[in-house]
Amino acid sequence: MRVNPNSMPDLLNALAQTEQQQNTELLQLSTGRRVNQPSDDPAAEAQLIENKAESAQADSFQQSLSSINGQFQTADSTLSSIETQLQRAITLGTQAANQGTLSDNDRLAIANELQGIQNQLVSLANTSYQGVFLFSGTVQTQPFVVDASVPSGVRYAGNTGLNRVTVGAGYQLQGNLPGSQLFSATGSDVFQSMTDLIQSVQTNSNIGDSVAEVNKAFTYLSTQRVFYGNAMNQVTSQQNFLSSETVELSTQENTIAGADISVIASNLVQTENARQAALQAIGRMPPRSLFDFLQ
Amino acid sequence: MGSLNASLAIAVGALTADQGALDATSNNVANASTPGYSRQVPVFSENTPIVVGSLTFGSGVSLEQLQSIRDPILQIRIAQETQDQGQLGSFVSSMQQVQVLFNNTSGSDIGSQLSNFFGSLNQLSADPTDLSLRQGVLTAAGNLANSFNTTANNLAQQRSNLDLDVTQDVRQVNTLTGQIAQLNGQISNLQNIGANASVFVDQRDQLIGQLSSLIDVSQIQSDNGGLTLTTSNGTALVAGEQSFSLITQPDSTGQQRIFAQGKDITSTLTSGQIAGVLQVRDQKIPALLTSLDTLAAGLSNSLNSANEVGFDLNGNPGTALFSTPPASGVGAASAMSVALTDPSLVAASSDGSAGSNGNLAALSAVNDQPVVSGQTPAQFYSNIVFFVGSDVANGTANQNASQLVLQQLQDQRGSVSGVSLDEEASHLVLFQQAYDSAARVVTAINQMMEEAVNLGSD
Repeated sequence: MRVNPNSMPDLLNALAQTEQQQNTELLQLSTGRRVNQPSDDPAAEAQLIENKAESAQADSFQQSLSSINGQFQTADSTLSSIETQLQRAITLGTQAANQGTLSDNDRLAIANELQGIQNQLVSLANTSYQGVFLFSGTVQTQPFVVDASVPSGVRYAGNTGLNRVTVGAGYQLQGNLPGSQLFSATGSDVFQSMTDLIQSVQTNSNIGDSVAEVNKAFTYLSTQRVFYGNAMNQVTSQQNFLSSETVELSTQENTIAGADISVIASNLVQTENARQAALQAIGRMPPRSLFDFLQ
Repeated sequence: MGSLNASLAIAVGALTADQGALDATSNNVANASTPGYSRQVPVFSENTPIVVGSLTFGSGVSLEQLQSIRDPILQIRIAQETQDQGQLGSFVSSMQQVQVLFNNTSGSDIGSQLSNFFGSLNQLSADPTDLSLRQGVLTAAGNLANSFNTTANNLAQQRSNLDLDVTQDVRQVNTLTGQIAQLNGQISNLQNIGANASVFVDQRDQLIGQLSSLIDVSQIQSDNGGLTLTTSNGTALVAGEQSFSLITQPDSTGQQRIFAQGKDITSTLTSGQIAGVLQVRDQKIPALLTSLDTLAAGLSNSLNSANEVGFDLNGNPGTALFSTPPASGVGAASAMSVALTDPSLVAASSDGSAGSNGNLAALSAVNDQPVVSGQTPAQFYSNIVFFVGSDVANGTANQNASQLVLQQLQDQRGSVSGVSLDEEASHLVLFQQAYDSAARVVTAINQMMEEAVNLGSD
């Protein structure tokens, strides 16, 4: 049988193939990824794109969460300060109600202190976080304005709008409570009860009733404050969920596109051997023919 | 009747024949590395014997011809496989350039920018009045539009590069068909006078190989070495000594079409480099551009209507976020741009109050809505990438398979037509010994003649 006397093209082809294989494996080793371009595995690449989108989404949810968590914490501690102030007001009111030992001047001093508390309450209710008023609903104006023309002496300039922040796929957290609901609820109006108490102390009449009114507003506010506690719990659990989702997504990405380093490293050794063999084969191409043996 | 003269004539004839055979060997050795060379084998034949009475005298040997060893069917198979190889080669290399645009490792591809944009909306929803976050949304929208522009423009650019390839390939086809026609003339001239046209046939086979890598070629051999070449749908390229040039002319969209004798044959070409280039230019890239336009238009329209429902930071009704895509969708990707420049105009609010974020949920929802062909933007985009990737992957697999076949065919051709130096060396020994022996016979006859001439003297 006659064989092809020129095997150089075959050998060169083998050499080119091993070279390409080697380049691919080196790229896989250096990137740690099996899929480095869509044609490496089109189906995996398509999955990767969706995986990346999901993981970017989870990242942005995390950022939203930490941002609204700041708002929640500030709001919660503001409410806590307000509660402290209201407790002080209740204590003062109870003192004032104890008429036997107090002079008119004493009561006036108490009334002044109560007025101071009222001012502080207005200021607390106008708390902002990074330039955003926490209790204004969805408008961006100072929510509580001192206004003698309204019975409580404090006018609500915000609205009742609620913001919902998306913190998960199809999962929204309510981001705020409007100030009107917290501080100006009918029957539990903080400012109204304080105004009433100040008036009662000043006029030394019905102080006990007014203290009860402030107490009612205090209790109501404490109930409302639970919202922020709950919200912060939800933030924490959603943050945990997203962290584990992120881990899961990156595990998935690794499964889809990650290179099995040990396998590739051993493949690379094989490829290098094959390349070495091909090179040696070319080096051993018979340098001589029958001509060399003819005398 | 045998005679010394007759014997001498036989010996001299053998010397000539062996010299001719050595010629062939020498030529084979000289052309051992010439691409496309087919080895020559001397064909000896016995001369017609002379019959004298009851005796039949042999009258020596003559070298009938130097036969080139080739397998025409194998040659045709090689040409066919070369066509496939050419087509797959140009297809894969063009699609690989396309694929680069869809590689998500860069972070500037449409997929990454889509995620970034929807991420920026999520961030804004936590603090809807923040101007820097609002600017972040506009910047991300700008990057998204930009990634659509870049991808679409690059595709268009690649398309016009491929157009240039078509023109150049056609020019090369014309050069090759001209040369083949000329060789056809030389071959039939030589064969008409019974001469050996082997050299030209080898050259012609080489040129047909080159032509095959460019365009699909069918061969029809005629008796006197003539050859007709057509494309697979029957358009004549070469008929005997005449070649027919292909012409390229731009159509209304500026794309070059290929004409043969006034007829547009662009869509009938099925293999060879030109076919691969045309496949990407006329099918793959336009389909991709249409997909990108659909996605860009669907996305712009959905986000625009979502933004128009809400209210901006100043409490005014929202306007379109992106420039309105053309109604047909054509060119939507390359023309996509952000219509808003003022970050306060992002319509985050659902009720007109500045701090409301209600409408951002509507904008974000576009990410999970069936915006295009019943698919979410990310699904639709990942599908596009899937098809680009699988085109390249399948093309490469076919190319490798075809490469193996071609390799084997060429090995086969080599085993039939290739020059083996060992074989030539053995031929050399053989012919040299035959020459030596014939020369010895001449010497012997010379001695005998001398003896005959000197008979009777002394």
